[in-house]
Amino acid sequence: MQYVARESAFHRLHPLTKLIFAALVVALAVLTSDLVMLALLAGAVVVVAIASGLARDLLRQVPLLLSLAASLLLLTVLTIRSGAILGYLVPPTVPVIGGAFPITAGAVDLAVAMSLRFAAMLFAFQLLVISTQPRDLVHLMDRLRMPVDYTLMLLIALRFIPSLQLEGKRIHEAQLARAYNPGKGLAGKIRGLFPIIIPLVSNSLGKATVLGLTIDLRGYRSGRRTPMRNLSPGRADVACICCMALATAGYLAVLLV
Amino acid sequence: MSPEIERETVLGLQGVSYTYPGSVTPALKGIDLDIRRGEIVFVTGPTGAGKTTLCLAASGILHHEYGGIIEGTVTILGKDVQDYRNMGEIGRSVGVVFDDADAQLIFTTVEEEVASGLENLGIPREEMQQRLRYVMEATGIVDLADRAPHTLSGGQKQRVVLAATLALGTEILILDEPTAELDTGATRAVASLLRRLADEGTTVLIVEQKLDELTEIADRIILIEDGSIRRVGSLAEMMQDALLHHLTDDGLPFCRQSVTAPENGAPAIVSIRNLVHRYDGVAALKGIDLDVAPGEIVAVVGENGSGKTTLIKHLNGLLRPTEGSVSVDGLDAATVPIADLARRVGLVFQNPDTMLFAETVEDEVAFGVRNIDPHCNNEPVEAALREVGLLHRRTDYPRSLSRGERQRLAIACVIAMQPKVIVLDEPTTGLDAREAARIMEILERLRQEGRAIIMVTHDLRLGERYADRIIRMEQGRIIGSESASMEEPCLRLCSTSPGRAPFTASTHSPN
Repeated sequence: MQYVARESAFHRLHPLTKLIFAALVVALAVLTSDLVMLALLAGAVVVVAIASGLARDLLRQVPLLLSLAASLLLLTVLTIRSGAILGYLVPPTVPVIGGAFPITAGAVDLAVAMSLRFAAMLFAFQLLVISTQPRDLVHLMDRLRMPVDYTLMLLIALRFIPSLQLEGKRIHEAQLARAYNPGKGLAGKIRGLFPIIIPLVSNSLGKATVLGLTIDLRGYRSGRRTPMRNLSPGRADVACICCMALATAGYLAVLLV
Repeated sequence: MSPEIERETVLGLQGVSYTYPGSVTPALKGIDLDIRRGEIVFVTGPTGAGKTTLCLAASGILHHEYGGIIEGTVTILGKDVQDYRNMGEIGRSVGVVFDDADAQLIFTTVEEEVASGLENLGIPREEMQQRLRYVMEATGIVDLADRAPHTLSGGQKQRVVLAATLALGTEILILDEPTAELDTGATRAVASLLRRLADEGTTVLIVEQKLDELTEIADRIILIEDGSIRRVGSLAEMMQDALLHHLTDDGLPFCRQSVTAPENGAPAIVSIRNLVHRYDGVAALKGIDLDVAPGEIVAVVGENGSGKTTLIKHLNGLLRPTEGSVSVDGLDAATVPIADLARRVGLVFQNPDTMLFAETVEDEVAFGVRNIDPHCNNEPVEAALREVGLLHRRTDYPRSLSRGERQRLAIACVIAMQPKVIVLDEPTTGLDAREAARIMEILERLRQEGRAIIMVTHDLRLGERYADRIIRMEQGRIIGSESASMEEPCLRLCSTSPGRAPFTASTHSPN
């Protein structure tokens, strides 16, 4: 998840508008567990992405969301028994343990609600990140009087996630070139972690000192930033904020009724 | 600039000694150094001599961030570094480029990276725009403006980091190996830019392993060894020093031997035909044909992004051809599992830290050997360590070795598996000439045993000096393949290499 240089409608919005959009989606997502409302919310974010030509970037998160949904479903089925029984994890025909884990409607509802909530939040946050240059985020957070350490933390996390992925891939290749074959399946994955995690962590720790020094030497803690681009909200921002206000009012009205 | 101002000391070290926390051996011993405004001082010395520590001391980082035992005084613009509040305050006067470019790239686009420091200076927007344009043009990164820094090559990253530091317009620049991964042309451009800045009053302290184009612009050269300044002088004066002589390419104790030239007509051990590789539909290799014979050293050279790394990854199955064929020792590299290819092709990555994870040097080397044969005895491990001169370090922690030793360890890891083909990605980057020569001596011995050596390098001189054949790549194609002359190769190179600094041709005999 990283800034993508593109000329989309969402890119052109003021960072504050985009931040309000993301914050609003997060707030509305936690206000309800109603499946229809959550589906509408997630759908609305996807519609915004499609309208801005950023849908393909959002699609990259779908495998993550699906695996998260599957894990949540398993967790709720194992821990919640509420409502009608829809089936069993272990068919009742199996001797001894048959029918041990009933799948109830309450468990499924909760898993779906949480998955939709995550999807809405993740998509909204991703739209913000891929359409906003990190330095614009830094300036925005500055103006919102966020502590500089938190801003830098966000910045570094955004910047170094892809670097770590790349470094991990490189280390994996280096070990494969040494005829390393940890095997397939979960056991293989666990065995394969050791020769990869150790160099990855050691190399990352080595970079941390230099990174901290660079941040200091470039004056990020000076607290007197002048944005090179003077971004100010335009008509599109005003229109977006009006639309968001209307949509939020409608959403809340439905929830309260 | 008046002579008085020129003589003003802006960076001073008086009797500076330093011992790292947890260490008993001082990394710096009684360093006395005054650097005047507008002066360019070039510091060199063997690997582990204390060059980087000198940079850390001069920039006040040792005092403010490292701890350890510090003696003596460091002054920046006449003020003791301890009187500065923090590194942020020092950063207003001193720009530092560290040797790890990757760790200094914070933002998600190149333009942002360079612009972000400017935004912290509190200068008018128009001036920011001008400075941004100037440094991006001067460092040749205008075309990279929208690229994500982590996707750049090592050389491109170095240029971006340099631009981000130069943009700050500090009075003092401290540069730790700023051109280690740049080719000759890019290094010359950086040298010219630094000279211009120095003429305008910027003071520059450069640390480099090797003597390259940057020495031409230096007002003073300092040779450092075992943490002490051994000699200070102009380039001409310094070349009388035997140690410095060894740090230059021409001082290398080893040069390519002519007695083991590959036999004509020997069957190729690597055979590549019409190799095409596409990443997401974009062709990175566009029809490569290449044969490599046993006992041959082939250098693959080319600009960043020319397809060198993509090519070598096909030899051990890390990448598979989109079209065409790759045959290694009779095996089809397009289909054979990587583990099987690893018995025949050893790949040494550019950064040895990419692979080091074991507790001891011996275990690190044994890892690959045991992957091939779990019941293998320790003989190949010991033989490989002996070959690279690390047998006496067998019980040490791999990451505690010096950079040169770690590179030799990475080679030992590969040769212990006894592959017939050894592929090295930038085998000498980050090493001084003496260490680089040691690596090349090892490769020469391996070649004499009949192994094929393929090395990717941005350093044309290295290829000219050591390889039998130089393959030039550009935009995914081989644009030239030339055999190196076997007659007096070093003499030929010393006198004709276009990128060679003037002193190397005139001051030394080739061998």
